[in-house]
Amino acid sequence: MGAFFYGVSLQWKLDIRSKTLLITCYIVPLFFFAIMGGIFTSIMPEARYTLIQSMTTFGVTMGALIGLPPSLVEIYSSDIKKVYKANGVPIYLGLVLTNISAYIHLFIMSIILYIAAPLAFNAKIPEHPSMYFLSLAIFIAVSLSIASIIGLAVKDQAKTSMFSIIIFIPSTMLSGIMFPIELLPKSFETIGKLFPASWGYKQLTENIFTFESLLPLLLFFVSAIVVCNILLRRIDR
Amino acid sequence: MNEAIIIRNLTKSYGTHIVLNNLDFCVYQGEIFALLGINGAGKTTSLECIEGLRKYDSGSITINGIMGIQLQSASLPKNIKALEAVKLFVKWNKTSLDKAALNALGIYEFAKKQYYQLSTGQKRRLHLALALTRNPDILFLDEPTAGLDVEGRLSLHEQIRQLKAIGKTIILASHDMTEVENLCDRIAILSNGKISFIGTVEQLETIGKHYTITVQTKNRTEKYESENIGDSLLSLLMQYKEKGETIIDIQIDRGSLEQHFIKIAKGA
Repeated sequence: MGAFFYGVSLQWKLDIRSKTLLITCYIVPLFFFAIMGGIFTSIMPEARYTLIQSMTTFGVTMGALIGLPPSLVEIYSSDIKKVYKANGVPIYLGLVLTNISAYIHLFIMSIILYIAAPLAFNAKIPEHPSMYFLSLAIFIAVSLSIASIIGLAVKDQAKTSMFSIIIFIPSTMLSGIMFPIELLPKSFETIGKLFPASWGYKQLTENIFTFESLLPLLLFFVSAIVVCNILLRRIDR
Repeated sequence: MNEAIIIRNLTKSYGTHIVLNNLDFCVYQGEIFALLGINGAGKTTSLECIEGLRKYDSGSITINGIMGIQLQSASLPKNIKALEAVKLFVKWNKTSLDKAALNALGIYEFAKKQYYQLSTGQKRRLHLALALTRNPDILFLDEPTAGLDVEGRLSLHEQIRQLKAIGKTIILASHDMTEVENLCDRIAILSNGKISFIGTVEQLETIGKHYTITVQTKNRTEKYESENIGDSLLSLLMQYKEKGETIIDIQIDRGSLEQHFIKIAKGA
């Protein structure tokens, strides 16, 4: 276990040094929160009731989809994976370590938003904090699992950014964090449901676990694990 | 001598193209063994099959010992520091940090530098250090000195000799014939997926031995090819004496190891 924990702490440091995850997990989400939080609560005062959830959904989606794949591409589309394999390090280690590290970063960012939003914009704290954080934990895991598919499937950094943005934009725009999803045309509402962000946001705002909102997230997660497993086997060949 | 590696009838194809055709050889414990061949001869494929990085179609590979592998094209996360990488591999392989080996390789000189800040030579030394973290009995070095300057090359050669001195078996893939001549006990030349020569450097020189004799007289310069220098030289001297020509200079070119290698590798 010592080797595993050393790997996690090392990956945590590497993510901070690499700046990519630092920017996508902290700087951009918090900057977005500072600007959009002010705009949302000025235009629609009732936005303060869901500000923590909407900003967190944006931050987690961004950090996962834009931040994680480059780290995975660096490992799995280069000779790094061969060096790991040749020297007795299992092929899945890179995936696991980058996910755990990103998970911790995203959770910290979410806690910062949870504390800062009420202070800065008089945002309402969720009624059941424990339920909220449990939902958050699930949502981060699902978002990272989807991001892992991009990182393992795409072979170069430029294409990774393109695919990440292609998924990130509809994820956030159609998730309901900017405006109520009911106001969207039916087709857009349906497309929005194809991304975990809309289900994650729903779960974060509901404060209770309903089978209806939890099941899609679990389906996303299980499907992503299966796909990642297939991709890892293909890479290992 | 005990075998460290035994390869029997190793065959590997990519589609209809046979890359390794019933490869059959042994590497003995404690020797430095070079695998040579022109580009596309199957060196990397055979090495990767032995290292377990590539699947093969048929045959058998027996490895008697723990392997350490330094790949030709190797990389690490660009922000990892040299010593962090060594520690990660040491911890994962449940071995201990061999400070003496790290010192000998000069890892502490750049221990806190991030991977992208390292020079080619430092990266080579780091990857050799990583290959040693498993405390291997058998060490694979694929083009270990490629891209290094003369000083770096000599330094790494010394490290390789020291590793042999402590009993490591070393398999070396290289294009540098001087390196092979200086370091290796035995060499194998791969040609079209088969071993076309296996033996010592001296044996390679003997097999491929070919002389070019250049005779210069007052009026002309003539070149003669020969495989038996003694008889040829005597005969030439007699011929020139009979013609009454005065020889000013005689040069004998014994041919380089590179020439012997190319001759065998290309099946000439």
